[in-house]
Amino acid sequence: MDPLKNSDCQKPKKDRQPQGQKTGRRDFLKGAAKFAAIGGAAMLTGCSTGMLGSKEELSLQFKEYFKKNYRLMTQEEKDETVQRLERLAKLKNNANVQMSSKAPIENVLFGYAFNVTRCEGYMECVAACVKENNLDRKSNTQYIRIFEMEHGKMSPEVGDGKFFHEVPVADHFYMGVQCFHCQDAPCTKACPVKATWMEPDGIVVVDYDWCIGCRYCIAACPYYGRRFNWNEPVVPKEEMTKKQHYLGNRMRHRGQMEKCTFCVQRSRQGRLPACVEACPTGARVFGNLLDPDSEIRFVLKNKKVFRWKEDLGTDPKFWYFVD
Amino acid sequence: MKTPTQKKYLWPLFSLLLVLFSGWSAYADQGGVTRIYQTAAAPFDDQISAESVIALPLDTIMVRTPYQGGRFWTETRKDKIQRFKCSQCHNNKPVGIDQAAEVAHGDIRLNHGSPDKPLSCFTCHNKEERDFLVTEVGTTIDMDHSYQMCGQCHFRQKKDWAGGAHGKRLSYWAGERVVTNCAACHNPHSPRFEKRWPATYSPPYKK
Repeated sequence: MDPLKNSDCQKPKKDRQPQGQKTGRRDFLKGAAKFAAIGGAAMLTGCSTGMLGSKEELSLQFKEYFKKNYRLMTQEEKDETVQRLERLAKLKNNANVQMSSKAPIENVLFGYAFNVTRCEGYMECVAACVKENNLDRKSNTQYIRIFEMEHGKMSPEVGDGKFFHEVPVADHFYMGVQCFHCQDAPCTKACPVKATWMEPDGIVVVDYDWCIGCRYCIAACPYYGRRFNWNEPVVPKEEMTKKQHYLGNRMRHRGQMEKCTFCVQRSRQGRLPACVEACPTGARVFGNLLDPDSEIRFVLKNKKVFRWKEDLGTDPKFWYFVD
Repeated sequence: MKTPTQKKYLWPLFSLLLVLFSGWSAYADQGGVTRIYQTAAAPFDDQISAESVIALPLDTIMVRTPYQGGRFWTETRKDKIQRFKCSQCHNNKPVGIDQAAEVAHGDIRLNHGSPDKPLSCFTCHNKEERDFLVTEVGTTIDMDHSYQMCGQCHFRQKKDWAGGAHGKRLSYWAGERVVTNCAACHNPHSPRFEKRWPATYSPPYKK
């Protein structure tokens, strides 16, 4: 919608400039800046009174639009934006979300291991992930892909990622692929606006509101670990996960990048990611790499492990292992 | 005093040193996350770091096998068996035939062990003390510690389970280690996972 053609947008300009009063250059610029800001906010919301919503919603959205990158925010600013987003979710969708901006736990580096011998392709992890992370039901976004592969093949590129039949099939094994949270992640280097980075606990996250949707990171990721919102995500209100994290499963919008965050809203509370908890065969192991007593360290020490495309030097924190 | 011969060797020597140094620095840099976790040796203190870690659930029991030198817990089994205690019926008293049809184990399909050497009821269940299990050498085993029973043959899996490569942890990666027991995932009478349809499917990826 072109705001210039819309009469609603033109109105405040007329009101704010009374006839016959002299305006200096400074006043004029001040006024012009205000109008530009109002116009910008109006453009964001579609510039019609029906879509603008209440005055509170408009002011909240206005503040949201001018917030900083998450990494530059102080804790107070993080709390403020979290409160604003909670309130906005209430005003827009009447959803009572509890959002957190919990910082990473000290002395934690998350690691993940996947047992290719145990996985039977039941896809419970995918269903749990979609539910937990409020993924778009309309375009069927999924963070995890399970590949059905013949014995002897070692790369998901030659596997079947679209299977839908009774599993497990004889002489096949299953290999799950998701974001590997590389220690030297190429996606974070590709981002021109620094909207994606690796947190101190090893989770590669996206500041959804800072993302400009250029999709350079998709091109940079050698594992197809990132997803783009081509449309406004649709999640039924009753299915929405209410416990959210600013960097995790809060609602994204159209034109924003998203990815697996090892369920940051859960893992920073000490809980396991949804895929690990849902796995019916125990093929997924998650834990703290810096803790010598953790299960992931046992796997790395005692089992035969390999990483996918290790030769690229991206240093993923996601190992595959065999029994 | 520099002779031309010494000067001739100066540049090659310098470049050789440069190559060696760059090679060494690249070697020192490599390792990435592998080096990070291999040098980390301090145990993680859950109580301080993760405030929301739950207390131990009530229906757990400490496992008699050590885990990386420490202890861990597993779910109890007895309170999840529908008709425990077994000695309510198996007590050498006559059971009426009507009752027997009602409570007998007609639903159990035993599919455990190789076809040439199948297991029978009393391979695992104790004939004398019906509330317990019995090992090959005749040791009585509590139902809650059934992993000791399974570990007789599946010792490799038991080792992995005690370490964390088999089975799964309950809900939390932090805090006390509580894992599922064998029978939580495997039906002891037919332990192999059955064929079934997947929970969902991946949409065809359009290029």
